[in-house]
Amino acid sequence: MPLETPVRIVRELAARGYNAEQAAVTLIASTERPGRTLERVVEHVDDAALRITADDVRDALGDARPSSDARDAETRADDVSTMENGAETIEDDVSAVGGDAPNRGERDASTPRRDETTNPGRGDAPADVGESGSGSQDPSVSTGDERGYRKTEAGSGSGNVPEETAGAASGGGTSPGDAAPAASRTVDPSLRSLEVAGDVTGQSTGTGEYGDFVKVFRDRYEKLSKQLRGRVNHRPATAIQSMSGGTDAAMVGLVNDIRSTKSGHWLVELEDTTGTFPCLVMKDREFAELVDELLLDECIAVEGTLSDDAGIMFVDSMHFPDVPRTYSPNTADRHVQAALVSDIHVGSQEFEADAWTRFADWLHTEEAERVEYLLIAGDMVEGVGVYPDQDEELDIVDIYEQYERFSEHLKDVPGDMEILMIPGNHDAVRLAEPQPGFDENLRDIMSAHDARITGNPSLVTVEGVKVLMYHGVSLDEVIAELPEEKASYDDPHKAMYQLLKKRHVAPQFGGKTRLAPEEKDYLVMEEVPDVFHTGHVHKLGWGKYHDVLAVNSGCWQAQTDFQKSVNIDPDVGYAPILDLDTLDMTVRKFA
Amino acid sequence: MREEDERYFERIESRLDEAFDRAERAKGMGYDPEPEVEIPVAKDMADRVENILGIPGVAERVRELEGEMSREEAALELVTDFVEGTVGDYDGRAGKVEGAVRTAVALLTEGVVAAPIEGIDRVEILENDDGTEFVNVYYAGPIRSAGGTAQALSVLVADYARSLLGIDEYDARTVETERYAEEISLYDKETGLQYSPKDKETKFIAEHMPIMLDGEATGDEEVSGFRDLERVDTNSARGGMCLVLAEGIALKAPKIQRYTRGLDEVDWPWLQDLIDGTIGKDEADAETADAENTAGGEDEESAADTESGDGGEESDGETETPDGADDEPAGPPRLDPSTKFLRDLIAGRPVFGHPSAEGGFRLRYGRARNHGFATAGVHPATMHLVDDFLATGTQIKTERPGKAAGVIPVDSIEGPTVRLANGDVRRIDDPEEALEVRNGVEKILDLGEYLVNFGEFVENNHPLAPASYVYEWWVQDFEAAGAPVQALEDDPGIDLERPTPAEAEEWATEYDCPLHPEYTYLWHDVSVAQFEELADAVADGRLVGREADGGLAETGDGTPSSDAKKAGDGRVDDDRVLELANTETVAETLEGLLVEHTQSGEAIRVPEWRLLVRSLGYIVEEGGSTSAVDEGEPESDLDAGQSASDVDAGASPPTLDRTWEPADLSPAAREWDGGASAVKAVNEVAPFEVRERAPTRIGNRMGRPEKSESRDLSPAVHTLFPIGEAGGSQRDVGEAARGRDEQGRRGVVDVRVGDRVCPDCDAHTYRTTCPDCGTHTEPHYECEECGRVVEPDESGRVHCDRCDRDVTSPDWFSIDVGEEYRRALETVGERESAYEILKGVKGLTSADKTPEPMEKGVLRAKNGVTSFKDGTVRYDMTDLPVTAVRPSELDVTAADFRELGYETDVDGEPLKFDDQLVELKVQDIVLSDGAAEHMLKTADFVDDLLEQYYGLPPFYEVDEREDLVGELVFGMAPHTSAAVVGRVVGFTSAAVGYAHPYFHAAKRRNCDGDEDCVMLLMDGLLNFSKQYLPDKRGGQMDAPLVMSSRIDPSEIDDEAHNMDIVRQYPREFYEATLELDDPEAVEDLIQLGEDTLGTDEEYRGFDHTHDTSDIALGPDLSAYKTLGSMMDKMDAQLELSRKLRAVDETDVAERVIEYHFLPDLIGNLRAFSRQETRCLDCDEKYRRMPLTGDCRECGGRVNLTVHQGSVNKYMDTAIHVAEEFGCREYTKQRLEVLEKSLESVFENDKNKQSGFADFM
Repeated sequence: MPLETPVRIVRELAARGYNAEQAAVTLIASTERPGRTLERVVEHVDDAALRITADDVRDALGDARPSSDARDAETRADDVSTMENGAETIEDDVSAVGGDAPNRGERDASTPRRDETTNPGRGDAPADVGESGSGSQDPSVSTGDERGYRKTEAGSGSGNVPEETAGAASGGGTSPGDAAPAASRTVDPSLRSLEVAGDVTGQSTGTGEYGDFVKVFRDRYEKLSKQLRGRVNHRPATAIQSMSGGTDAAMVGLVNDIRSTKSGHWLVELEDTTGTFPCLVMKDREFAELVDELLLDECIAVEGTLSDDAGIMFVDSMHFPDVPRTYSPNTADRHVQAALVSDIHVGSQEFEADAWTRFADWLHTEEAERVEYLLIAGDMVEGVGVYPDQDEELDIVDIYEQYERFSEHLKDVPGDMEILMIPGNHDAVRLAEPQPGFDENLRDIMSAHDARITGNPSLVTVEGVKVLMYHGVSLDEVIAELPEEKASYDDPHKAMYQLLKKRHVAPQFGGKTRLAPEEKDYLVMEEVPDVFHTGHVHKLGWGKYHDVLAVNSGCWQAQTDFQKSVNIDPDVGYAPILDLDTLDMTVRKFA
Repeated sequence: MREEDERYFERIESRLDEAFDRAERAKGMGYDPEPEVEIPVAKDMADRVENILGIPGVAERVRELEGEMSREEAALELVTDFVEGTVGDYDGRAGKVEGAVRTAVALLTEGVVAAPIEGIDRVEILENDDGTEFVNVYYAGPIRSAGGTAQALSVLVADYARSLLGIDEYDARTVETERYAEEISLYDKETGLQYSPKDKETKFIAEHMPIMLDGEATGDEEVSGFRDLERVDTNSARGGMCLVLAEGIALKAPKIQRYTRGLDEVDWPWLQDLIDGTIGKDEADAETADAENTAGGEDEESAADTESGDGGEESDGETETPDGADDEPAGPPRLDPSTKFLRDLIAGRPVFGHPSAEGGFRLRYGRARNHGFATAGVHPATMHLVDDFLATGTQIKTERPGKAAGVIPVDSIEGPTVRLANGDVRRIDDPEEALEVRNGVEKILDLGEYLVNFGEFVENNHPLAPASYVYEWWVQDFEAAGAPVQALEDDPGIDLERPTPAEAEEWATEYDCPLHPEYTYLWHDVSVAQFEELADAVADGRLVGREADGGLAETGDGTPSSDAKKAGDGRVDDDRVLELANTETVAETLEGLLVEHTQSGEAIRVPEWRLLVRSLGYIVEEGGSTSAVDEGEPESDLDAGQSASDVDAGASPPTLDRTWEPADLSPAAREWDGGASAVKAVNEVAPFEVRERAPTRIGNRMGRPEKSESRDLSPAVHTLFPIGEAGGSQRDVGEAARGRDEQGRRGVVDVRVGDRVCPDCDAHTYRTTCPDCGTHTEPHYECEECGRVVEPDESGRVHCDRCDRDVTSPDWFSIDVGEEYRRALETVGERESAYEILKGVKGLTSADKTPEPMEKGVLRAKNGVTSFKDGTVRYDMTDLPVTAVRPSELDVTAADFRELGYETDVDGEPLKFDDQLVELKVQDIVLSDGAAEHMLKTADFVDDLLEQYYGLPPFYEVDEREDLVGELVFGMAPHTSAAVVGRVVGFTSAAVGYAHPYFHAAKRRNCDGDEDCVMLLMDGLLNFSKQYLPDKRGGQMDAPLVMSSRIDPSEIDDEAHNMDIVRQYPREFYEATLELDDPEAVEDLIQLGEDTLGTDEEYRGFDHTHDTSDIALGPDLSAYKTLGSMMDKMDAQLELSRKLRAVDETDVAERVIEYHFLPDLIGNLRAFSRQETRCLDCDEKYRRMPLTGDCRECGGRVNLTVHQGSVNKYMDTAIHVAEEFGCREYTKQRLEVLEKSLESVFENDKNKQSGFADFM
């Protein structure tokens, strides 16, 4: 798999804390044994360097310095190893701390160094760390010092370093004080797994024809009606139309229209693949208030009795696809955590870089050593042209520079983390949902740590736990359409419950949410997720619905003028940390 | 009133009476919904108020009160009448308040606009939380037309009535207060408010408002918080309420306070806080005060100090006038550029000048006879040179003084200056010449002068901008300097306005008077460095014989330009031209100065050089005496080929001696305006004073194009007769008559029409006459619930008291359209072949759904006119003012004018010749050619109608358009409900409706591109019926519910009163402009329309400062209308932007993309992804694609309403324009992202080539 080599090289370098010039990577890749070359380069470059250039590689290749045999053997093995193997090397090294492994110098210098140069809290670090913020530092910082430094930082509690916010659902989280005085991150990539389903990226086959739209809605109907058919004795609309008055009937259909009648009852028109049928919900029925929750184009089932003239059905019960009450979520086999964040908005004048840096720094602490996954639910950057005159409020006006800067910020997190991101409405992809992941051009820019890039939405299975990632544009609509107690900006997770209940991330067509027609409805929740992760509304909220954890993860952008004008007070700089083995969640604040 | 004016009005009224009599006879036959003319004549405002409101007795009371008090006070006084029940027949308290509020609004809007009937929906009495009662006024969108003051006073009136009725105050709940704040900012964002109150301010008002302001939802956007409130029945913004609160109460607080003070019952002490502007601020102030005690306070304070310090420096450095302290200011007085007018630039409508940019229009003060009242005078040559984008009536958005203006042609101002492809620079003062050279124009260096009248500045309360130094100012300076101006004026050998160079030099030096504007160049537009370079170039230049220059002679011959005239004068210097080395800087400097010159290879030749070199500090030594000149011998260029008149032929040529060295220039002159203006330098070296020629440039861009076209509904309608779906999409009555319905009935359609009953034989019908006995029928109101027949009450409301519901007359009828059609043709004796098609309507939207007799439609179709929703035939034109006309330019004769009652010209001379200038009377209007033709057709229709339908003699009997002269029309503006009677006096080829400004103001229009309609008098009288008006919000707008037969200048929109009506502005005025004074400072010096109000002079004496040879110069139609596609228009727009010196083409491209292409692309892409679908066969619409795929109604094919083609139609163009004009990366990237989005939506990933090659 020669074509994958560059990817691995980039990953390997990133894992050691280096950026690399494209030319440098190409050079390494073009050598006979790229793995060995890489080692050599890493050994060769100045320890203060953050970016490996083509010259570094040439120098390294020209450097005839012989390496030890042991090292050669080890790196030779790397040549054919996968990424996991490559990282394993690190693991081995790091776990060997305490000993004086002769070849660990460059490793140590990698992650911790970035740590030090970027950590704003380093002023209170013990003096023996010595260096005061200048980029160049003594490369031979001892491991012991390193650890001591980190520990101090983690334990410094109420400084500007992470402090725990109150009230995580489970309380199972950690606080800085709890941090084990152990070594730096010890991760075992071989234990990891991350699979993506329901991703439209590269699969967008729709061409904007009428037929494509019909196909989407039919697919929606088929998938969701399947969930409901077992519960009612569904008859097609045309069959019901020809039934005689007074008989019992049931129908599964997409909500086509909702009207209130003069006398205050509700007329809900349902549509299936044969036609439509009007269903009347009397205002005094106990389930009448469910009508308030209905969104157009969601799929429901009703049972009832036909009127005498068989022109209408009086509804006796109403059913949603829903998450079964008995649903028992999947968990990971080991204690491992994922950080769920979204709405970073790099490029905005309001982007809270400091908060992000604190978050990234914290991830380097041993307290965060089990945080092996970082899942980002969209809006990496502020984008261009999202609203009129946006350029006046941008810190970085160039969209590509925005992504470059984002990529730099991404590099602050430990290189051994698995990162996955989906686009949001500010990102430079189409706005219509499902949104494909970033194109090649942007992927190149965001190559740091070899993050996984998938579409919006995507069902991501992380060590067995199914996390539905969706940016959350439809939440605006749910909040606008539904009564306040059922969905509001203050409790965004309640709006998410509604989506779970409807088993669709953006049911209503024709309103605020935009739909791109594809060959199937990517927005249906065919499988019940274990975790539902969204962003977009910049509010933090989480809770469980039928044992499914719904998380809206706040943002990294301070209140904008627009938000001020509509009185939205965003939750800035929060990182919900999810225990994948228990699905307990801790929220950490970095702002 | 002068007897002459009285005669004029009587003349109009007698013709009106004549028409009325005929119309009453016709109507009396009962063929129409009502057996009488439905447009009552209002002689004055009180009449109009009563007629519009339909409350009897109001007019009489208003007249009583008018003599004693102001209109506002009268409105308050009337409240008592309503409460006591002496006026209006209201039982309920809510009704009394409602009557009083409506009357107040009607009174304050002079009974013209529709606000009192359409803008106030109802008043209701509701309960506070403590059980007390309060008044709720329910406003609707059309309250907008009332304006802020009337809106605000309506609230005061409601409160006054409330207190008189002993109802309690409204006690707003907190959620309601918050809702007001949120809603008003929502409305401001969505629709925009003139004044946007801060949230604090809104809440403050809401808390203190003693009555509740409520209203109808006007937008789709909903508030996000404070929804579903118990006492607010919508979550959308209530537009009417927002207007009243923000633009009424918040903005007009001082005005309301004036009246609350006079009322004991009403006390609004909180207004003072609004007026002081402390609301929303006092909190901040308090904070600062607190902060002062803390450490943080100091920072804030010092920050504020620094700021104010900066501000001071800025104003010192850049603007403003000398104020004693320092010896010299560092720059000339200037107003700050404003970019507002460039906002929302759209494709195809060019920018003519960027804000205050050099090369743009030069402000000249004055009022031409077709000018004033939101118009801008432009030279017709300019109109042609901007590729015909400007025509008479084209609206421009302007930098100052207002927001927009209608363009009018004025050829007595200076035209544009252009550089031709051969390098020649010429000023073009003749439209013909403009057309000749247009193709050769490489750059438009200057757009010429831009005439704005003083009144415009008064109306907009805009600080005066420094005036151009022009003849009318200079001549007053000249006189003040002691020159015998009168004598010079009388001397036939002297043209004061265009003197020879020698005369100008003499006058400037003999008298202590600034140089004549004709020879004053734009020194302020060139830098000191350029000035010095030019001076150096002159030193190296030489004077050569004129005939050596072929090109120039041609210029002189081609047009009667000033050159040619002066050349014949026989002065020495006229035979020589200044020849300078042709360098880029010299050419550029001359272009900046607007000095005409020609180019030939190495040399630049300046024909008018004498005062140029004098201004540059050179002495012209007349030939003969010179001996030792350091340079060569210009003499050699003179030879024997000179004209015979050249008496000095043999003499040696004059030489030029420089009088100064660079070191002589003072630092003040060098640093004046940062060295960007050479005016000070010129004044230091020149032997006379040189003024700033054109200190104020005005940027502008095209707004709407002018309009002159008939008003047709879409699709066009000949008859307001309903035929359902039977006539197809064309609503073809013929087709409906022949078609079969589902039951196989031929020509029968089921439609809802009004049920009417014959008073004689009790037969029920939908027709206006009884099919059995021919008697006029009346609407039949039968209560649906109880079956009782109800009669309408006084106010026209039909209410069943037993069932407490409103009763309407419409019912389903099966109408035999075929029978109806045949009958109609038979009645008027026409055949179907008399016209191509007769179009009906699908259904009726009026309350009673009374169909119009089809006979009228047949005759309309025959005569080629169509009907508006109210039964009238209308023609729309852009409004423009004119106060004096020449019969010849109106295509009529002096005899015609004398017949109309015009006796003298503007100077009081008897009217004998067609080209004498005559002052226009207030109700006289000029029709565009198109309008005249349309009125002719309408007159034929009316005559046919009278003869063939009503069986009466014809009224007009017109053959050609001259026959229309003297006929009466209605002028009628949108958003109003009162028509104004006008008289046709002539015709113009411009596509506009010229009329006296007071006529437009009586319709509540100004002339900044507004348009409205004319109707032929008799057509309105015969065919208008309220019964046809739609029964929905706004249905009564734009309908002639009442007409004003004569204009009272005191009762018109007071904007027109701010028009100046003098022949000359005084010297003090021009001087005041240099001080950037407010217009009030000089208002007393210039007579305005308002100064003559209420006097005998109120109808006459509208003088002007500038004439124009014709009111329809320049192109008849803007290129915007003659160019075909949007792409053509945009190409022309960008092309022009490259040609204009005053325009930054990149900015234009940027704005076109930003405001036109991007919104279009984004909007269509958004629309695509949430679109409706439509059945191609039966037109059924679906909010979402049906799951069946096919139409659920007819099984037909359903398709999208927004396709790929309409989404990306501008994509390639936009990208191309962005590239070609070097737009910003930001813009390019936005396009790039959009293009990718389009690809992603419309292209199949699997059909695309992709590889790993581009991975790294």
